[in-house]
Amino acid sequence: MPTIIACFKWVVDEAYIRKGSSGDLVFSTVDFKISEYDRNAVEEAVRLKEAHGGKVVALTVGPPGATKGVKDALSRGCDEAIFVADTSFENLEPSQTAEILAAVIRSRVPDFDLIICGEGSGDLYAQQVGARLAEHLAIPCISFVQKLGVAGVSLTAERKVERYTEITSALLPSLVTVLPEINVPRIPGVKDTLTASRKPAATVRKEELPPVGEPRLQTIGIAAARMDRTCEKFGADEAELARFADALRKKGVIR
Amino acid sequence: MGGIWIFADTRGQTLELLNVGHRLAADRKLNLSAFLLNDPDGAGDCISRGADEVLLLPALADDQSLEAFLPVLVEEAKKSDPDMFLFAATARGKELAARVAVHLETGLCSSCTALTYDPERKAVVMERLAHGGAAVQKVVCRTRPVMATIPPGAFEPAEAVEGRSGRTRELPAPPPSRLKVLERKIKAREAQDIGEARVVVSVGRGFEKKEDLAMARELAAALGGEIGCTRPLSEEMHWLPEEACIGLSGAQVKPDLYMGVGVSGQIQHVTGIRNARVICAVNKDENAPIFSVADFGIVGDLYDVVPKLIQKLKQM
Repeated sequence: MPTIIACFKWVVDEAYIRKGSSGDLVFSTVDFKISEYDRNAVEEAVRLKEAHGGKVVALTVGPPGATKGVKDALSRGCDEAIFVADTSFENLEPSQTAEILAAVIRSRVPDFDLIICGEGSGDLYAQQVGARLAEHLAIPCISFVQKLGVAGVSLTAERKVERYTEITSALLPSLVTVLPEINVPRIPGVKDTLTASRKPAATVRKEELPPVGEPRLQTIGIAAARMDRTCEKFGADEAELARFADALRKKGVIR
Repeated sequence: MGGIWIFADTRGQTLELLNVGHRLAADRKLNLSAFLLNDPDGAGDCISRGADEVLLLPALADDQSLEAFLPVLVEEAKKSDPDMFLFAATARGKELAARVAVHLETGLCSSCTALTYDPERKAVVMERLAHGGAAVQKVVCRTRPVMATIPPGAFEPAEAVEGRSGRTRELPAPPPSRLKVLERKIKAREAQDIGEARVVVSVGRGFEKKEDLAMARELAAALGGEIGCTRPLSEEMHWLPEEACIGLSGAQVKPDLYMGVGVSGQIQHVTGIRNARVICAVNKDENAPIFSVADFGIVGDLYDVVPKLIQKLKQM
């Protein structure tokens, strides 16, 4: 009966980020979501549990506002949640996130069998936390997995490398990071949301863990990626399409 | 000792990293060392393209993956204390770099697309995309070595220069791994290489069913181009092979003409078309984000517009 940890990050929904007049990014109207890639991690953990029994622990680190994400993860089928919350956890660097996750797993879920992470987060997409976490816990790491199976004390994972796929195996406990193609995450229904609020969710405070190291990477600037285009619009009638074709011809992209 | 170190899965990627490494090494008069995997004949090539030292890694056992080199790389780095350690941002390169960074207790700039030494800061300023491609993040690393992964194809291979000299050193075979490779499956190529196509017609969720893609293929044929798609079409619907997927986690395209049909313009997709010369879009939603990154946009139902466009192109 495996204990599976599904890690997720509560991120800014990039669809709401606006570009300011001076090329800065405006976050004032943003909404948040569970990072898309982490939904696949949660889904895979829940599917494995449905097949093999055991339990799924959802785990996240972030500012107190991420508590909505905890409920979201529970409504997606996780059995319990651990939330490491602190106002200073707004802009953690991957090395810090991995350290915190490792510390909380050691103290709260030491008997885990499998950790599943997404391939990267929806905001920074550094794709480091999974691999770093495995290294801190000194367990095997298999990243970019598109098919995963657990049998007894070992797992088999099909991972995508550049020109081929590697079918690999490792003993549990292990960590895998999963690609979006591994599954289609379920959409929680009303009942799932109601059940979620009755599931155990523990909040761990920063003070309960060993001190977090200084960030190693320092962000010295973040600006909107520029994409200067003419943004000319055309209608769909004959005359407009003729004008469109003419515009392409003038650019020399059609003959 | 110090110096700049580079590690890549293949010699081709090594040559690209040599280009980056050589420029940074020259700026600061540092040595440049390249790891070379099971390719002793490539040492001379690497030296002529900028390496001062080539570190030869032996072939892996059949059941080992690239991660097996982790202890070898960590031990060498702890002995020699490099200033920088660059990896190719391949699937296994990204994982390996992150794991090396834990042991060297340092930061790692992932998928870095620009690196310049800033003498005032006395630091290498590194750029990368964040928020699905909507933002450019600039970082410096406060610990040593400075580590980064660099996407294959982001830089040209280094040029060969006659008469350069360097040394080679053989490194030991790695210990057995906990991870066992049971089998390798070469992927069958199902699609044309859209990375080099002159015209790309990209299809998105605006298409209602797979059969309707015939219309997009006809449009692509009329324009002399290839078919690409957004991630849901290849990864969720499986209407097109994964090589056709354009975007942050798919192909980066740089055609003369990109035409997005029924593509909403989510930032992850748009990131992959940034280098297209002309971007066009057909979408029935006037407020679709694709229009704000397109040169020419047609607001209309693709099922109405595309046949008319094909007709028009055929007349021309």
